[in-house]
Amino acid sequence: MKLAALKSVDNAHDESVWAVTWVPATSSRSPLLLTGSLDETVRLWRSDDLVPERTNTGHCLGVASVAAHPLGSIAASSSLDSFVRVFDVDSNATIATLEAPPSEVWQLKFDPKGSILAVAGGSSASVKLWDTSTWELVATLSIPRPEGPKPTDRSSSKKFVLSVAWSPDGKRLACGSMDGTLSVFDVARGKFLHHLEGHHMPVRSLAYSPYDPRLLFTASDDAHVHMYDADGGSLVSSMSGHASWVLCLDVSPDGSAVATGSSDKTVRLWDLNMRAAVQTMSNHTDQVWGVAFRPPGGSNVRVGRLASVSDDKSITLYDYS
Amino acid sequence: MACVYIPVQNSEEEVRVALDQLPKDASDILDILKAEQAPLDLWLIIAREYFKQGKLDQFRQILEEGSSPEIDDYYADVRYERIAILNALGAYYSYLGKIETKQREKEEHFILATQYYNKASRIDMHEPSTWVGKGQLLLAKGEVDQASAAFKIVLDGDHDNVPALLGQACVEFNRGRYSDSLELYKRALQVYPNCPAAVRLGIGLCRYKLGQFEKAQQAFERVLQLDPENVEALVALAIMDLRTNEAAGIRKGMVKMQRAFEIYPYCAMALNYLANHFFFTGQHFLVEQLTETALAVTNHGPTKSHSYYNLARSYHSKGDYEKAGLYYMASVKEVNKPHEFVFPYYGLGQVQLKLGDFRSALSNFEKVLEVYPDNCETLKSVGHIYVQLGQADKGQEFLRKATKIDPRDAQAFLELGELLISSDTGAALDAFKTARTLFKKGGQEVPIELLNNIGVLQFERGDFQLAQQTFEEALGDGIWLSFINDEKKSFVDAAASILQFKEMQLFHDLESNGHHVEVPWDKVTVLFNLARLLELLNKSGAASILYRLILFKYPDYIDAYLRLAAIAKARNNILLSIELVNDALKVNEKCPNALSMLGELELRNDDWVKAKETLRAASDATDGKDSYATLSLGNWNYFAAVRNEKRNPKLEATHLEKAKELYTRVLIQHSANLYAANGAGVVLAEKGHFDVSKDIFTQVQEAASGSVFVQMPDVWINLAHVYFAQGNFALAVKMYQNCLRKFYHNTDSQILLYLARTHYEAEQWQDCIKTLLRAIHLAPSNYTLRFDAGVAMQKFSASTLQKAKRTADEVRATVAELQNAVRIFSQLSAASNLHIHGFDEKKIETHVGYCNHLLSAAKVHLEAAEREEQQMRQRQELARQVALAEEARRKAEEQRKYQLERRKQEDELKRVQQQEEHFKRVKEQWKSSTHSSKRRERSDDEDGGPNEKRRRKGGKRRKKDKHSKSHYDTEEIGEMIDEQENEFEDADINYREPDAQINDDDGAEENAQGLLAAAGLEDSDVDDRTAAPSTISRRRQALSDSDDDDEPLQRHSSPIGENSAYLQDSDGEVKDRGRTNEDFASDDEKEN
Repeated sequence: MKLAALKSVDNAHDESVWAVTWVPATSSRSPLLLTGSLDETVRLWRSDDLVPERTNTGHCLGVASVAAHPLGSIAASSSLDSFVRVFDVDSNATIATLEAPPSEVWQLKFDPKGSILAVAGGSSASVKLWDTSTWELVATLSIPRPEGPKPTDRSSSKKFVLSVAWSPDGKRLACGSMDGTLSVFDVARGKFLHHLEGHHMPVRSLAYSPYDPRLLFTASDDAHVHMYDADGGSLVSSMSGHASWVLCLDVSPDGSAVATGSSDKTVRLWDLNMRAAVQTMSNHTDQVWGVAFRPPGGSNVRVGRLASVSDDKSITLYDYS
Repeated sequence: MACVYIPVQNSEEEVRVALDQLPKDASDILDILKAEQAPLDLWLIIAREYFKQGKLDQFRQILEEGSSPEIDDYYADVRYERIAILNALGAYYSYLGKIETKQREKEEHFILATQYYNKASRIDMHEPSTWVGKGQLLLAKGEVDQASAAFKIVLDGDHDNVPALLGQACVEFNRGRYSDSLELYKRALQVYPNCPAAVRLGIGLCRYKLGQFEKAQQAFERVLQLDPENVEALVALAIMDLRTNEAAGIRKGMVKMQRAFEIYPYCAMALNYLANHFFFTGQHFLVEQLTETALAVTNHGPTKSHSYYNLARSYHSKGDYEKAGLYYMASVKEVNKPHEFVFPYYGLGQVQLKLGDFRSALSNFEKVLEVYPDNCETLKSVGHIYVQLGQADKGQEFLRKATKIDPRDAQAFLELGELLISSDTGAALDAFKTARTLFKKGGQEVPIELLNNIGVLQFERGDFQLAQQTFEEALGDGIWLSFINDEKKSFVDAAASILQFKEMQLFHDLESNGHHVEVPWDKVTVLFNLARLLELLNKSGAASILYRLILFKYPDYIDAYLRLAAIAKARNNILLSIELVNDALKVNEKCPNALSMLGELELRNDDWVKAKETLRAASDATDGKDSYATLSLGNWNYFAAVRNEKRNPKLEATHLEKAKELYTRVLIQHSANLYAANGAGVVLAEKGHFDVSKDIFTQVQEAASGSVFVQMPDVWINLAHVYFAQGNFALAVKMYQNCLRKFYHNTDSQILLYLARTHYEAEQWQDCIKTLLRAIHLAPSNYTLRFDAGVAMQKFSASTLQKAKRTADEVRATVAELQNAVRIFSQLSAASNLHIHGFDEKKIETHVGYCNHLLSAAKVHLEAAEREEQQMRQRQELARQVALAEEARRKAEEQRKYQLERRKQEDELKRVQQQEEHFKRVKEQWKSSTHSSKRRERSDDEDGGPNEKRRRKGGKRRKKDKHSKSHYDTEEIGEMIDEQENEFEDADINYREPDAQINDDDGAEENAQGLLAAAGLEDSDVDDRTAAPSTISRRRQALSDSDDDDEPLQRHSSPIGENSAYLQDSDGEVKDRGRTNEDFASDDEKEN
């Protein structure tokens, strides 16, 4: 497996680019790249030349996360002011504006079927689930407070939920928090299952393997990438190599590789058979906040693509083979 | 059968005395000799015969009787025989004196001999044999010059006096004039070809000394032909054989030496050589016996020196340095000048070096160097001693010389490298590399220590890949390979046990699976260093396994525990880290490193009292000599000083004072301690001495750059704080940004907060807000950052509204920011808690209220601004139209002018045509006349004239046109301006209202400030910013925005807070370096 840089867009945004995702292809168009930035805009790019398609405004403070519906027609973006804006990808019409005060909004993820939007709820120590047809809050998955004589806010601030991930079958949901705690939920029953041990620093990104609903990958500020058996609750492997925080992570569509972005300015490709980094890309000059593999589907998109975004305001597109 | 006949007095008879049947009692013969008044020569003959038979007493008895006063009276006229008897006695006593070893008796013999010779001289001053005897005596006494004088007297009388010639030759030999000596020997041989073998021995020795070895050998062989038992010749030949330095020669030489020994067991020279031989064959018992005998039989300095040397060497090789030293000393004492015999100096130097007497050893080695300035071994030894004496420069000089002289001496390069480690790592690395190449070239195995040293140096220089290669080369093949290389992980999947840092099951499994888990003792250090390197390469998983492998085999290896603890700490797993440190403490409960680390971990856990105790224990464990523990205590005091929530000034002062004292103590012990200097700088800054502290920080910063092991972001931050405090915001920003990038991969929200604070102070609101947003993005759960962002927005809005001139866009942005601020504050009021974040709902509500107030004001501003904008637009539109009209007018004018010009040109053209026609006519008229050339000239002139004029005219006209036009323009503009002014006046009237509003606002704001100050709003404005570093310190309360000078103080507190954590890290590394050095040290020992 190999990454080869195809194209870079410098100054893709006016400020740091913090979020990236692919909008799947629809019948009328091929997949688009969706990015969010501190400059309060969300931009759409046409692949492979990264031609700017449109710039969406409407957010205040920086855009922290973006997510696309599996059908490719709608997408959501969240910003530091704790609003989620759901919009039509092709028309930019606002479909809904979501907020659930006092909880903040961090990472967003649509479930694989596209019926639920999961939102990492920050200090509420919970994940909020929104119905994508009615745009109403349907459930709150809370991390149980640690047992103790007096549960304080202090401990809850440590359980600040940053990241969220759906299992490929949509039955499980995992979230990562500031103190490194990973929690696994049974979505259907709305029930907390267990924690996964191993990280003691913020987990800003996590993802399930697209093929194995048990296999969960996590990226943490402790510079390590962990591989868990999410159902069994055990750590399978720990991969070190980044020199600083691992900020983002994505699993390749074929399930054989993981890409990570780090504060050490690099993007690394990890071979899951060898459980080791096989490639390190240094195209960026500042922290890499987002990596995203292009999902399969659509016309002539057999070839793999990976996009990365960074504090250096640039986007880089790679060929993955 | 030889016999003598003693004539019987007064008769013809003679007494026949058979010389081989002399009576035992000499008195019998004496009686006869006396009774018969036998001639004195008979006395002499008989005495000599006794001497030959070894009956010395009888010999002496006869001669003493023969030289008694009675005889003198009786044989008064027989001069020669009397002299001969005296001389014989003199010679006898000379010989006794010469061989006598005891000084007193020796002298007595010499005195007797002198007396006899003097007596002989009294009989006849000029008798040559007496002079010869005297000369011999003087020679024996060592008075060479006087001996020479004596022999000269004889030779002056008789050139060919053989004994005198021999004597003189001997004198010259002793004087070192070997060729003169040789001449004299030759002459003696010519005069008396049958002279004894000894003469040829002399020739041989001379030739030997002159370096004519072949002739010398011939001479010695001739001696042996004449006298097969001549020991000296045998020894000489043996030495010459030995000199060949070939096995056969040495064997031959030893045979001769042995024969010499058999013939005469007391020849010191032979004994020495035999001892030498047995030294090399390792028969030390024989060496001692032989040399002791040699010492007993000789008085000759150099020979004795040799003997002592042999003896010393024997003891030296047996390891008895005391005795060896004594004998070397004895040997050295016998040597007058080092260049005669330098070996004992070298030996003595070695022994003294071994016994630690460096200065004496040095002086001895230097003597060796006087003789052999290029001797590598000695140069190396001298270099080594200088190093031991702390004179590294000199040591280097000598070792360099040694390596220059013998560029193939791997050992010398190794030593040089070790020497250079502390001073010049680059050169040290080169030396080590050369040593490695030499070892490899020589087919030798490269010592592990050498590879380790190379690896560590490469490591320190940051050549991590090279270092890893070197370490792996040093380690060779072993179980570790399966942990280091990702590719070879096949049979070890260590991942599962990575988190359990104490887990050893992995190795047990390996063993039970039949793998050989073994770590040779000499590879532990390399393994540790490699693990350390892997850690730095971010392969902490592999590093952790290697550390555990070390612990699996060597459970007492404290450093491995500490590194494991450090890895755990880096991943924020404090509990595991503490557990590991406690394991280390189980091995050695007083280990200062472990205690210090424990202290830091306890601090991380906010366990202040415990931390202090632990750090004290660490300090006590080293009697306060461990800088790290002292520093940590200093830091503790500093934190204690700035942490106190209520800021008890007295307590703060005591803590600060204590911190300063501790930092100073470290600085006294180690004047180059960066951390102590940094600490001292912080305390100074805390007290307001910014200039001094800036100097300190700058120096520390310079010193800290350039090593992979010293990472001191703190000093950058502190320096930035000082710049900030002094109002140099631009530099402060730069410094913070550099620090963030260089040390934290831009991930530290705390420094971003400092940065934001600087922007805030510099009134760069947007930068401030953006910076805070970045910080929030990095640390989402830090609500203080949000609060600060809200405040920054509020401040931005307020200041924009206060501006005299602003655009509608600015005001719009202000409104947006105010809305954001309100949202942030209201979110905070719902989510935050006073105890954690340092601000409560009340305070936030005040902010919200104020923002809303601003917001409503801003809306009015916005309307006004928008109105203004609209008017501006209208005005611009008007101006545009005016401009358009003007343009049209101008165009029309131009058109008019153009036409005018054209008309004029047409007129001109017409005129020209008329002229031309006229000219043609004239030409035709003139054609018949003769002045054709002149006419042409004139026509030319005429042609040019009007053209030029016309041109000038046109130009003038154009100028005029321009003039009028510009005049027109200005007029127009003037009009426009007037119009505009009118409009402005209108606008002013329009504006008057909003202006008043602004003033009102300002007033209101001031009022609000006054009012809210009581409610704590403006305070909180500042307060919250302190609250940011609230984990460590809280800011002084009554700080207002303008209090620039005081604020920086607060700023300092937090970075130092950081220091604690990072100090630990970097010091951990420093410690490790110390470790590797220790390892070097132990390697040294091993080598020695």
